[in-house]
Amino acid sequence: MPRKRATKTRATRCLDLLNFCIAGEQTGFGPFVAVYLAARQWSQVEIGFALSLGTITAMVSQVPAGVLVDALRGKRNAVAAGILAIGVSALLLAVWPALVPVLTAQVVHGFASCVLTPGIAAVSLELVGRAALGERVGRNARFAALGNGLAAGAMGLLGSYVSDQAVFLLTAVLCVPALVTLPFIDAKPQPPPRRAATRHARRAELVALLTDRRLLVFAACAALFHLADAAMLPIAAGELTKREGVHANLIIAACILAPQAVVALVSPWVGRTAEQFGRRPLLLLGWASLPLRAVLLAVLPNPYLLVAVQAISGVSAAVFGVMVPVIADDVTQGARRFNLCIGIFGLAATAGGALSTTLAGGLADAAGDPVAFLSLAVVGLVGTVVVWLAMPETGTIEAED
Amino acid sequence: MTVSRVSLIVLLLLLMAAVPEGPSRSTTPELPPTVELQTFAPREAMPVLGHRVVEADGEAVARLIDVLVDPGGRPVAAVLDFGGFMGVGVRKIAVHWSTLRFEPGEGTHRIILTLAPDEIKAAPEYRDPEKPAPVVVPATPKPKPEQQ
Repeated sequence: MPRKRATKTRATRCLDLLNFCIAGEQTGFGPFVAVYLAARQWSQVEIGFALSLGTITAMVSQVPAGVLVDALRGKRNAVAAGILAIGVSALLLAVWPALVPVLTAQVVHGFASCVLTPGIAAVSLELVGRAALGERVGRNARFAALGNGLAAGAMGLLGSYVSDQAVFLLTAVLCVPALVTLPFIDAKPQPPPRRAATRHARRAELVALLTDRRLLVFAACAALFHLADAAMLPIAAGELTKREGVHANLIIAACILAPQAVVALVSPWVGRTAEQFGRRPLLLLGWASLPLRAVLLAVLPNPYLLVAVQAISGVSAAVFGVMVPVIADDVTQGARRFNLCIGIFGLAATAGGALSTTLAGGLADAAGDPVAFLSLAVVGLVGTVVVWLAMPETGTIEAED
Repeated sequence: MTVSRVSLIVLLLLLMAAVPEGPSRSTTPELPPTVELQTFAPREAMPVLGHRVVEADGEAVARLIDVLVDPGGRPVAAVLDFGGFMGVGVRKIAVHWSTLRFEPGEGTHRIILTLAPDEIKAAPEYRDPEKPAPVVVPATPKPKPEQQ
């Protein structure tokens, strides 16, 4: 049926573009907001408050947003609402950088991001089914990395040569193609996920999920991953600025772009390998490269090698990006708690990341960068050991009860 | 310009939601007799927070993000934000107020840092407002000749 195949190809391409645009939209948020607000006569206290508000929102919304996406029948509508909300946040930042609009934008963006991550995974699952999920999320990660990398490059140029408002206008513009793709990602109607009949049975099911060893261990691994990972680039980049002065900017840009290129290259391979050889070898690869990178950063003699070392982070990022939806699907086995599961992993990851920059930043101040890097290496090593000893292979486990 | 029109609509909607209803304030209230109004031209007083800081050759190197003052309210040091790409790798360094030269003007203010990049790049970062601030102070006063 050539027509059916054409529809399917179109849906695949549109999902590629959706991932590309949404990742591009996310690039302007984050640390750049601090630079933008500083240029708008914001005091450091206010900037710190606005950023913390965004981080806290992104943390506390993970689980509720997952539950919400689970409850919604039309996952594409949830994604559309998330895209629009991010566009509105970007416009607010661009045209009205006063206290209330910026705080509103931070909260709206934080919640919308928490809807989009499980939303895209849910749309992908609906489109390709459980058997092909690994390959599909590998592809998602590839196009997200391309979107992120290209947007970072474009926004860096816009911010330097046009205006930093243009960064957020570009963010808002990226909404349009993202929204246009959605109607074309038309999955064939799925049977509604099985749902326990009584309230009692539903509660028992939820308790069984929340006490599932695979879920708890992987959540712990996700937290340790970001506890080890998040602070590495900021500390290395700060050190680089110290050594190289203002000319460090190009190297830092390369340190941001190189891992995205690696993610774009290896993600589909990660997705395919997860389907063929199971999750554990990839988890070990992704987690073990964290302590390796931290040790290399601690002993690095030449700042130009920093780019090469940071490129290693692309491997762990690809593994993490692919494994979150794949393991969530392994744990829920097609049941309706898929997005809750992703939300729990997201909560663990954002909490680990937030703690990482605080703890390792403080450690770098108090004891120097090598001590901070070696501590991050120890955390990464602990994460790897937890994966090795406690994380079961989720791919081959049959549906339970 | 759809973007600006859309943003205008969003702006108006938010304004309508944000502005509390109350008596109109179109008439300027009179100043009390204890104070009077003086107007400073741009070349007499310039805003500095968030302003770009340039080197003597005009190249922008940093942004002024905070001012540290003494008990009399006189500026002691400026906190400058250096480097970074999209907010990653920024470094906050406090420099003595005397290392900055201010050129207020009509529309084009300039803040010029008289320290060379090598003089500040090894400086410790200014992080915690609660702790004693590390400030880069010139060892001997050496005002650079004006280059324009």
